[in-house]
Amino acid sequence: MKIVTLAVLMLAPAHAWACTPTLEGKAGAPGKMLNSKTYNLVFRTLPEKIVIGKHFAVELAYCAKDNAPAAASVRVDAHMPEHRHGMNYKTVVTSIGGGHYRAEGLMFHMPGRWEYIFELRAADGAPERLTASMVLQ
Amino acid sequence: MTKLKKLAAAGTVVAGALAAMLAGGTQANEPGVIEFSEAEVSRILSHGPWPMPWSPDPSNRVSGNTHAVDLGERLFFDEKLSVKENVSCGTCHVAEYNWTDGVKRNQGQALVDRNTPTLMNMRHHRWFALDGAADSLWSQSMRPIVDPRELASNATHVAQYVRKDADLSCRYEKTFGVSPARQNDEAVLVGVGKVMAAFQETLVTEHTPFDQFREALARGDKAAASLYPRDARRGLQIFIGKGNCSTCHTGPMFSNGEFHDVGVSHFIDGDSKKVDGGRHDGIKKLMSSKFNLLGPYNDDATRGSAIKTTHLKPAHSNFGEFKTPSLRNAGYTGPYMHSGELLTLDQVVRHYSELNVDRLHADGESILKPLKLTQRESADLVAFLQTLNMDRSPPWRGKEYAHPPCVVNGKAAVVDNYAP
Repeated sequence: MKIVTLAVLMLAPAHAWACTPTLEGKAGAPGKMLNSKTYNLVFRTLPEKIVIGKHFAVELAYCAKDNAPAAASVRVDAHMPEHRHGMNYKTVVTSIGGGHYRAEGLMFHMPGRWEYIFELRAADGAPERLTASMVLQ
Repeated sequence: MTKLKKLAAAGTVVAGALAAMLAGGTQANEPGVIEFSEAEVSRILSHGPWPMPWSPDPSNRVSGNTHAVDLGERLFFDEKLSVKENVSCGTCHVAEYNWTDGVKRNQGQALVDRNTPTLMNMRHHRWFALDGAADSLWSQSMRPIVDPRELASNATHVAQYVRKDADLSCRYEKTFGVSPARQNDEAVLVGVGKVMAAFQETLVTEHTPFDQFREALARGDKAAASLYPRDARRGLQIFIGKGNCSTCHTGPMFSNGEFHDVGVSHFIDGDSKKVDGGRHDGIKKLMSSKFNLLGPYNDDATRGSAIKTTHLKPAHSNFGEFKTPSLRNAGYTGPYMHSGELLTLDQVVRHYSELNVDRLHADGESILKPLKLTQRESADLVAFLQTLNMDRSPPWRGKEYAHPPCVVNGKAAVVDNYAP
């Protein structure tokens, strides 16, 4: 019987233990999904369309896979890898309840490829980075 | 001939020379020919429309107020704001010079360290002064008043002058609904900054040949677009393409409003002991100022106007960075760069063409590289820049007013309970 159970577990898809964060119930676009070893994350920008030189916010939700503990801290940043510079503004991330977070203060001051950086740090572990690229015209 | 008249005369010569250059150096395209790709057109369209929409500054309760504009203009040209009564804001910001002065570095009570920036389109800026040491136009307007090298004044002198002058005092009350006699010196100085900002917000550049071309592209009018000169068209292609200029000179303003190191010397007068820290020092000044948008004089109760200041992130690479200038009317704003060390647009283009990368921050952004333009490409780029100019330099503005005497609450101007 134990052997059968193990076999079922081995055949199950990997995402059986995964979680799906959602921004449902909040206004705006459905969001972009990202994942790392420990976390799945979904985020969207407010407003949805980013304009060069205008401040905007990011709303995000995440969940920890395999019953891993929640992250102790969430940090949001962005940079232009090809230009070797980041934003001229620092974000402030606050929990807005229901596992949702809001990062304020982002501003992209140039056209080109920007990369969002979401850094989730466990209480007893190294930070994990989730990244997403976008090209701003 | 006064200094101002000399400047004005020189301005006429420069404007005439530019007009001649444009007339002689450009040719209309053949009708129906548009050489830009879809991506290029998209990038070109991002530089408009012009003028940009604008709404009053929420941090300044008299922004857009006609009484404030009137009083601000009077004070802008009033030398009595300076302690020696010899310098006004209009000394360095001369209308015919696109609200700058046409000299490398100007002098109030002493020689200043930087080139005088234009006041045109200032209402669209995010940061003010070449180092961004102010986060509002009204707080920036106060800084030259108290700078010992410029007006060398102080809150007490300014407040006493405004209170004692019956007409100014009346106009102040008409603007703010309170007599300057009922406010402390510092509050009056802030009030003066706010009316001067209201005046400067009215200074907007006009439509340009580039705007006409851009609008023709936007509406798909190939015949109208083809009237844009060939050399300017080639220069525009460089500007948005191999020149990479539009990476920083973005949007309708042709400026991203942020700060960059472009390889211009940080040393003042070439003296290695006199260093201009640029944005690095600007941030320090901004954050230590009680007049920034985080302070008590911001009229915006929501503090939404202070988001940029709240989130500002100082960095080591800010050292030697200066604000990206708008290129609108750039043909009228020389000399160029923060130190005024380049006299013409040709020299500016040459600077970027032959850029000395050793002068850039080792740990700074990697955007700039020598463009290595040919002589013709350089000339084309300059031809394009000239199409960002209004057809004429702004007309003379100065200290001549035909307004009737101030009347507030049905009474002619009187000084209200002022006891020095």
